[in-house]
Amino acid sequence: MIIIDGSEGEGGGQMVRNSCALSLVTGQPFRITNIRGKRSKPGLMRQHVTAVEAAAAISGSACSGLSVGSSELTFTPGKARAGDYRFAVGTAGSTGLVLQTVLMPLLLADGPSRLVLEGGTHNMQAPPFDFIERCFLPVINRMGPRVSARLVRHGFYPRGGGRIEVEIAPAPLAPLDCTRRGALLGVRAQAPYCGLAGEIPQRMIDRARKELPNWGAADFAIRKLPEDQGPGVILMLEARYQEATEIVSGFGQLGVTAERLGKTAAARMRGYLECEAFAGPYLADQLILPFVLAGGGAFTTVKPSQHLITAIDIAQRFTGRAVRLEQQSESGHRVWVG
Amino acid sequence: MKPTTVISFLGSTLDAAKFGPSRWMKWRPSVGLCMHEDLRVDRFVMIHGNLHSRLADYVTQDIAAVSPETRVERHVLDFADAWDFEEVYGRLLDFARGLPLDPDAEDVLVHITTGTHVAQICLFLLTEAHYLPGRLLQTQPRRGAPDAAGTWSVIDLDLSRYDSIATRFANESAERSSFLKSGIETRNPAFNTMIDEIEQVASRTRAPILLMGPTGAGKSQLARRIFELKKLKRQMGGSFVEVNCATLRGDSAMSALFGHRKGAFTGAAADRAGLLRSADGGMLFLDEIGELGLDEQAMILRAIEDKHFLPVGADKEAQSEFQLIAGTNRDLAACVAAGTFREDLYARLNLWTFTLPGLAERREDIAPNLDYELDRHAEREGERVTFNKEARADYLAFALSPAARWSGNFRDLAASVTRMATFSPKGRIDVAAVTKEIARLKSLWTDGAETDDDGLERWLSAEAVADLDPFDRVQLAYVVETCATARSLSEAGRTLFAASREKRASTNDADRLRKYLARFGLGWDDFRGRQ
Repeated sequence: MIIIDGSEGEGGGQMVRNSCALSLVTGQPFRITNIRGKRSKPGLMRQHVTAVEAAAAISGSACSGLSVGSSELTFTPGKARAGDYRFAVGTAGSTGLVLQTVLMPLLLADGPSRLVLEGGTHNMQAPPFDFIERCFLPVINRMGPRVSARLVRHGFYPRGGGRIEVEIAPAPLAPLDCTRRGALLGVRAQAPYCGLAGEIPQRMIDRARKELPNWGAADFAIRKLPEDQGPGVILMLEARYQEATEIVSGFGQLGVTAERLGKTAAARMRGYLECEAFAGPYLADQLILPFVLAGGGAFTTVKPSQHLITAIDIAQRFTGRAVRLEQQSESGHRVWVG
Repeated sequence: MKPTTVISFLGSTLDAAKFGPSRWMKWRPSVGLCMHEDLRVDRFVMIHGNLHSRLADYVTQDIAAVSPETRVERHVLDFADAWDFEEVYGRLLDFARGLPLDPDAEDVLVHITTGTHVAQICLFLLTEAHYLPGRLLQTQPRRGAPDAAGTWSVIDLDLSRYDSIATRFANESAERSSFLKSGIETRNPAFNTMIDEIEQVASRTRAPILLMGPTGAGKSQLARRIFELKKLKRQMGGSFVEVNCATLRGDSAMSALFGHRKGAFTGAAADRAGLLRSADGGMLFLDEIGELGLDEQAMILRAIEDKHFLPVGADKEAQSEFQLIAGTNRDLAACVAAGTFREDLYARLNLWTFTLPGLAERREDIAPNLDYELDRHAEREGERVTFNKEARADYLAFALSPAARWSGNFRDLAASVTRMATFSPKGRIDVAAVTKEIARLKSLWTDGAETDDDGLERWLSAEAVADLDPFDRVQLAYVVETCATARSLSEAGRTLFAASREKRASTNDADRLRKYLARFGLGWDDFRGRQ
């Protein structure tokens, strides 16, 4: 039994999700105590419960302490089974986070799986669908398995109601060297929206353009989605390199001006463009699990977040594999497994 | 943890919105409460009228979108008048009784933000009465930015769970306990615990209270403070009526308690209300209830059970509603066994029984009570009397020692303070005054408490009496009693030395007696002078 103190490190939710995934892959039970102990609302939140329920549903695992507000969770893993699964996620949760919980076990399961995930696809708590599809899954596919994801319908906060479909063809994970991103192939800015005045995405785009003067007018696009999917708006800035793709986003929020969202997103994109790292902060978090399970490989990234350090710590405890984090330049870091 | 069930009215105004994307910019309580990360609603019991079925459809759909975990269970409840208290309460009570709810298996939250005010009040009442076995749920829009989810909070009607309220309750309770103790900072743990209990009982019940304890333990004072406390808390009006049942002997007892009609008996020149009527709406303190006759006991029992009784000579019953506090220094259970006290009345009184310890059993409280008595004296006489330091130490040393029996309890203490204060005209009690008082108390307790007054104090000073050995005292008491009734010293001598007179030829009984009396500073003149 692996005992994890949930009040240590950052990202109580990520800790729970990664522990479930690693537990299913390694067959080791775990217990998390003091879940989100330092938060104003401690204990498991609804989206965490949903993620653990999904992990249990694909494997017949047994949980105790699985309820909203619970500060201690015990998870005794079953065996992940390939199959067709459908999970619906409540309003603030995200389909991406459920995928993050069940993807590794299903990648290493005994056959292909198909997932239908309903709920939020583009909301604040998690990277948007586009990030999963174009930044994260291509790396997984280069490691061996075949995973494809399709966005059927957008789901914005607070309405939710989005839908994504994921096809998973398992294969062993091969170690990968992701230390270089290669030459820049192209950039793109998109602002899909619905149920709002069209000037809002336009103002986001205008402001982002001002911050990114090298990007051409044709790189920016506004897309109106069907009214009933809204309200919602997101600005996604994408940079495609030979080896890597990064997407940063600004989520439309009540009470935050379109200009501020555009400016913040552009500043984050500039930060990525100006460095040489393969993985931005969010991709780095997500790469820890597949790299550790591949048993080797390396990637470069920006200044490590507390989330990344916690993810490394949890992965090491379940697999016993050493994960090293080394600073290479002022902001450049290298993570390698071996 | 158990799954959560919410019982809620559909808000015909609050939950309504233009059907379009903009509805998500508005706070709708029914939808909003299914949007919280820290609240998972598994079962949503939605109450609405037929008129609002379409709105209920929309809201149900939106709840499904934001909370796939939630199963919405719709109940149509049509009110003729949703502001009519009687109708709404009755319908909701039926609804609550018919609703399958398992509080052991689900955590029930009763949402009181939607519905008419009358409906909200009824939900509150049903929850408080446990017809709806749950806690109250309140939601509200978030302040500042518009937000679809709003905020939520659970109100537990058990107020002791709220820290600040619990602290206030504790403070008030401490204040009330202190009030019952007349502000005296008593230190005896058993006594303090008892007062805390009385405080709790007094504010929650109008049932009779029985105060047991020796004479002078403070039963009467405590009863009065209980009444004043209840009056202060607006739990009681009326007045405090106190009577010592030992004074209600014979024919007049019935009339004093229950009143009489004019002409009911000789001397009944006018109507008399009686003590029970005077206590209507207030409190009746029957001290020494064990002294009450059996007939009066039966009437009292009826009066506390039915609030009705029959005045003497009346053909119509009178009514009075009062709280009864009974005091006794007898063992009422033993009186029941002996047949002098009614068992049914005892059973009725024996619900809240408190035994007040005597002062000797709570010596640690003597010092605070001494200060209290000094304060009382000052209040009464308008003049403050204080001890000098040594005098106070001497007095307390004696008061706390086993030599001080305090057989009259607080009555003795109060009298003692009054004496010392009176004998200290300059307002300062000194060592000499204390020494004299100690002698008085000693003599009071040496025999006064256990045997009848032997009359020695008529002839000797209290100090002299206090200095007597019990061995001498008995003898001297008999001697002075004989002297007091004899016509001459010789006659007294003959009576006292009668046995030896028989055996001896010549005797001088008078001389022998004179010498004996002289040892105690007495002479024959003392007896002649006072006869």
